Amino acid sequence: MGKRLGKKVMWLTAIALLVGFMSCGAAYCEEKVIKIGTLFPLTGPVALAGQRCKAAVEAAVDLINNSYPNIPVPLAAQKGLLGGHKIVLVHADHQGKPDVGKSEAERLYDQEGVFAVIGSYNSAVTKPASLVAERRKKIFMCGCSSSAELTKRGTRYFFRIAPTDETESIEFVNFIKWLNETKGTNYKTFGVIYENTEFGKHAAQEAKKAIEAAGFQYVADVAFNPGATNLNSEVQMLKGKNPDVVFGACLGADYILWIKTMKQMSWLPKVSLNYCSGYQDPLIAKQLGGDGDYFMGTTGYSPELAELMPAVAPVEEIYKKKINPPVPFDSDSIQEAVAMLVLAQAIEKVGSLDTEKIVDALYANEWDSPLSLGGKVAFAPGGQNIKAMSIVTQLVGGQYKRVFPEQFANFEPVVPMPSWDKRK
Amino acid sequence: MAVFLQVVLDGLLNGMLYALVTIGLSLIWGVMDIINFAHGEFLMIAMYVSYWLGFLMHVDPLISWIASGIFVFLLSVIVYKLIVSQLIGKPALSALLATFGLSMLLKNICLNRFSPNFKLLSDTYLGGKVIQLGNNLILSLPQFIIAVASMVIILLTYHFMTSTKIGWAIQATAMDRDAAELMGIDTNKIYALVFGIGGACVGIAGGLLPMYMPVHPEVGSLFSLIAFICVAMGGFGSIIGSLLAALLVGLIEALVGFYIAPIFKYVAVFGLYLIVILIKPRGLFGW
Repeated sequence: MGKRLGKKVMWLTAIALLVGFMSCGAAYCEEKVIKIGTLFPLTGPVALAGQRCKAAVEAAVDLINNSYPNIPVPLAAQKGLLGGHKIVLVHADHQGKPDVGKSEAERLYDQEGVFAVIGSYNSAVTKPASLVAERRKKIFMCGCSSSAELTKRGTRYFFRIAPTDETESIEFVNFIKWLNETKGTNYKTFGVIYENTEFGKHAAQEAKKAIEAAGFQYVADVAFNPGATNLNSEVQMLKGKNPDVVFGACLGADYILWIKTMKQMSWLPKVSLNYCSGYQDPLIAKQLGGDGDYFMGTTGYSPELAELMPAVAPVEEIYKKKINPPVPFDSDSIQEAVAMLVLAQAIEKVGSLDTEKIVDALYANEWDSPLSLGGKVAFAPGGQNIKAMSIVTQLVGGQYKRVFPEQFANFEPVVPMPSWDKRK
Repeated sequence: MAVFLQVVLDGLLNGMLYALVTIGLSLIWGVMDIINFAHGEFLMIAMYVSYWLGFLMHVDPLISWIASGIFVFLLSVIVYKLIVSQLIGKPALSALLATFGLSMLLKNICLNRFSPNFKLLSDTYLGGKVIQLGNNLILSLPQFIIAVASMVIILLTYHFMTSTKIGWAIQATAMDRDAAELMGIDTNKIYALVFGIGGACVGIAGGLLPMYMPVHPEVGSLFSLIAFICVAMGGFGSIIGSLLAALLVGLIEALVGFYIAPIFKYVAVFGLYLIVILIKPRGLFGW
């Protein structure tokens, strides 16, 4: 009798456990979440930029998951996607290292089971990490990595929002031509200083191509190792060649050190144009104070461009709550928010989480993007956003003034840059 | 010719900075036979001390280096008492791993407290000031001040080590700890002092660097690597050897960087290190 009772209890316990386990599974399914991975440099030499990119994606997810009927951004008015699915972010830190980025991308897709990954800021990391996605036929959305090479690989699942260093190089050269034609300058010789990474090397290649195609002379090619203890030889080399115009591809602390070293060596080019770099970082601009003035570069967004993009302000308020110190969007971080919003629009349009259909939809449609300068996003084969735009700005008094193209300009560019001894 | 002289001058100034960073490591390595892997992080902490004094209290690095030096001296003594003293006499790997762990701890504390953001003092007294030497030579004042400080600290350390009773006690401890103890020298105190002096030297370098260099949690990494090379190349425990090795590293870096290509400057430095170690495994001036 006792034995029978024992068996019954065993069976009842087993059934209870099974039912409990299954109901837990059902409850998880009912939670309706879409896991998206983010892959940024959250530590290391460019961590500041990475933290901002992460916060920008979080702001976009906040917009998607909650209802903000007064913000004129697609999906802001509704709550969630696909009838109530919430997006859950899984964050990963690649430290600016390609090998770490690759293994973290593998972890995100294979172990965390994310639907897509957004990242990775550094082109050198984006390249291997996006190939991880390609092999798995999973989507990789890239906000701001600028190496033109990334969208020339014939990939299907990789999409990039920002302009490339190819388009930026052409824009820089057009700007110099415009200066020569309209301002009476006669700038002919060019140099490039760049970090010896995927980003820097490709920026330099594109710069050389654009400079030579326009008939200018490429006189100085200066590569450096990021995180160097000094940039004396690099600046000495530039000073020796003395080009009229220098294009810079220097990130974070290296950008600061480059400018400080030029000051120590009492040298400046007549014009300095910078790719997505320390130039675009408002915090670095603030720290450099007057020393950072009169440098130029492309900007996809800065607070001074807000009047051209009125939808940014309310989103920026959400973003500021997610970053310490609460700084405005910069050119790079805002592109990551756009990447998240465009992916969400595609998921909503397809109405399911079918990767192939979503990829097809991403290529086939033009997406509204009030957080982009052009207002639209559309992808060419290879994944490049063909609607990407940026404006040449000049930093004056700590503010990014719009100088080119003419239709967006609100400031007469100061050229040549005043020498160090003539600055306040 | 003017360009060559400028490159040499820049190289020597950088070499003097490396010497100041190296000297403390050399002392610790030579006397205690301990590799302090947290040396670069001591530099980083000194830079933060100088930065915060400048940012919060408007103290220029020209003065705050004193506070940085004292702060890192005290930190080093505490680190010695709490960690390193437990490892004296144990296999060298124990101290190496312990100081490596300490370096990770310090870096992550700074990441957590100060964020990975770059911090730069905008208005330092000498920041960006230069002296024109003749028509073509330019001397960067912040780098010159660091070079002068480096020379003074090295001379003082050398004098302290060779001409004072404590210095002799340190040398005696380095040569034979047991014999030194039999002579009545408290080697534990000597070790604490050496670790403290080593920290103070790198602390002074870190206190002066924010005159032109941004501070962030990773800033010490490459400096510490170069310091290791200078110590090994100069000869363990040799102050003069470390100085000459640091100057050589600065010069090679500048000359190769300018005349070959900047991306090869560290390749040349590490290549030179390998050659020296192959020819003279104990370094140029090692005993």
